[in-house]
Amino acid sequence: MSTTTDVRRHRGGSTIAWSLVGPTLLLLIAFNVFPLIYNIALSFTNRELVGEDSRFVGTTNYTRVFSDPLFAGALRRTALFVVCAVGAELMLGFALALALVREFRLKRAVLAVVLVPMMLSPAVMGLYWALILNGNYGVVNQILGSIGLPQPQWLTDRDLKFWSIVVVDVWMWTPFMALIALAGLSAIPPHLYEAAEIDRASRWRVFMRITLPMTAPLLGLAVLLRATDALKQFDLVMATAGPNDAATQTLSTLLYQTVFRDGKIGLGAAFACVVLVLVIALATVFTRYLDHLRRARET
Amino acid sequence: MNPGHLCSTLLLTASLALLSGACSKEAPPPASGAAQTPQSITVWWFQWAPADGLQELGREFQKETGIEVKVEQIPLGSYQEKVFLEFGAARTRFDVLIGDSQWIGRGATKKLYVELTDWLPTVVDLKTIHPRAAKYLCEYPEGSGKWFAAPCETDAVGLAYRKDWFEDPAEKQAFQAKYGRALEVPKSWEDFQQVAEFFQRPDTKRYGCSLPSDRSYDGLTMGVQNLLWAFGGRWHAEKSNKVVGELDTPGSVAGIEFYKKLLKLGPNGAERMDYGQVLESFTNGSTAMILNYFAFFPGIQKQYGDKVGFAVVPAHDGKRVASLGGQGMSISTRIPPAQQELSKRFIAWFMQRKVQEQWITKPAGFTANADILKSAAFRAQTPYNGPFAESVDSMQDFWNVPVFNELLTVTQRYVGMAVDGEMPTAEALKQLAIEKERILKDAGLL
Repeated sequence: MSTTTDVRRHRGGSTIAWSLVGPTLLLLIAFNVFPLIYNIALSFTNRELVGEDSRFVGTTNYTRVFSDPLFAGALRRTALFVVCAVGAELMLGFALALALVREFRLKRAVLAVVLVPMMLSPAVMGLYWALILNGNYGVVNQILGSIGLPQPQWLTDRDLKFWSIVVVDVWMWTPFMALIALAGLSAIPPHLYEAAEIDRASRWRVFMRITLPMTAPLLGLAVLLRATDALKQFDLVMATAGPNDAATQTLSTLLYQTVFRDGKIGLGAAFACVVLVLVIALATVFTRYLDHLRRARET
Repeated sequence: MNPGHLCSTLLLTASLALLSGACSKEAPPPASGAAQTPQSITVWWFQWAPADGLQELGREFQKETGIEVKVEQIPLGSYQEKVFLEFGAARTRFDVLIGDSQWIGRGATKKLYVELTDWLPTVVDLKTIHPRAAKYLCEYPEGSGKWFAAPCETDAVGLAYRKDWFEDPAEKQAFQAKYGRALEVPKSWEDFQQVAEFFQRPDTKRYGCSLPSDRSYDGLTMGVQNLLWAFGGRWHAEKSNKVVGELDTPGSVAGIEFYKKLLKLGPNGAERMDYGQVLESFTNGSTAMILNYFAFFPGIQKQYGDKVGFAVVPAHDGKRVASLGGQGMSISTRIPPAQQELSKRFIAWFMQRKVQEQWITKPAGFTANADILKSAAFRAQTPYNGPFAESVDSMQDFWNVPVFNELLTVTQRYVGMAVDGEMPTAEALKQLAIEKERILKDAGLL
């Protein structure tokens, strides 16, 4: 009798569990798993944005992706973007957090102002920065001109435009790094600093032995989040340079160009699959590194 | 029934009722005796002055026929994407599409545009349509006699210049002293270069010329091809899609090299200016001459009055070719036959001579009607009509095959590298020709 009750209870419990998890699972399958599988299937066809006729073309699209100089260029540019933008955001964000971790008057107000850029829409900010950096009537060049300095073409000079976008990205996302770093710094137990003070440890040593190791896991997480986000850089590039500029084209804008302008859905799907593998590989490396940091901290 | 079950049943019934209401595609049937739904057609065009003019004409059409015309204006930057995504649907939200000239190959071969070959001659005498507008805006393949559009906005690249500067006695005297000839509107590209050089005075914020040179869509290509053709170059063989040995020629190289020199005679950033920036450099009063589409010129004239003048693009060794702009009016295949019929009624009405005469009075409404273009009255109507009519006789288009976008992308890239000095022009054109043939072969067009 008790066994039957247990079985019923178990069944009832699993029914409730499935009814709670089921809708989420269905949504995940509908919006994540199915599109992924469909995208993989499309990548082996010559499907176009318009027109009914599409056929299986084997690995032709992948061969094209790996032999396409555009893809290689966009990949290089995206990698450079991730390294430079996220690197600068990390350093500046950490420095900002170190400045903000101490108590001072108007700290809350300063913090609120510092966080504003990351709360704005990247697309809208891209359009604003396109106006601010306009070579002829932008505010920046007007100021430079008024004090007799050269007025570079920030968004049209082929050597400058990529870096201008990097700077705008750094302006937008440094506050995010600062916020995470600030959370990490605030969580360091004060007694560690007190012990270091008793030991008369130098500031540099305190920073290297306490501050940095204690905040590293959180900073690593922030870098992972920003790096995966920067790998998908789209809004700023579209708003300031468009999808087809050889000097600024990233993987996402190349993908956009391929699918929405050239109408090559099959080729675009292959591009997307390759980008997905790259993102997963990067995320795996980072998570392993974070795991390593966590274990090192525990031991 | 216990209260819990009753409650659940009621909730479920209410949810289903709401859901079915939200998902229902069918509108409730009209009550008997209710008025019939008014007929209407939707036209898509990008956001600019001629679309306002077309909407005004649409109201005239409605007065005559009772059929409402809604001209929806889509921002230019996203127009192409929106249109082709819409064609992915079973029923497009537009009935009539005013599509870029370069799209016609895609529209025709992918069965997106209704073929008008048999119908159009029944409502308009095709001989009244300027042959170049017919060839590039309406037919696919070019000149094949297969019509997929009726001409709506005919446009070409022209020259706008500061007439007051050209007529300034001090400037005239200085030019005469420097070059030993009178300062006048340039007829050749060599004259153009000289005049631009003369007015190039960055210290006083006065510049020689601004030309389309943007890399994000088609600016550089549309600008450079005026010279490429004039200097004897071409994008492909006259009667085939062969590119190697046709594009990579001394004529094409000379045209691009000359363009490169002209780009140095402009304001800061002249190497990458889109149509809007070219226009802005002129309307801010800093630049002596610009190359841009005639559709932008009414706005300039409105702002500057008789201080500005307009002309056809210069020539080289007597050869003048203007880059074509403009769009044809096509009917979507993804609409019901009844809507296609309404669309045809509108196009037939629009093509009438009396309507075309109204069209040319609208801001930047440029016609393809050959008789109107020839008429002295049209040419005298505005300062830019005469040069426009002359430009139509020499206008030529970039590729309009279904893969034009890919061809445009590589053209922008390689010509950009040549103009920026990243690659010798001859080498860039050689690479471009190979790349274009690869794209054409992949698409089965070579």
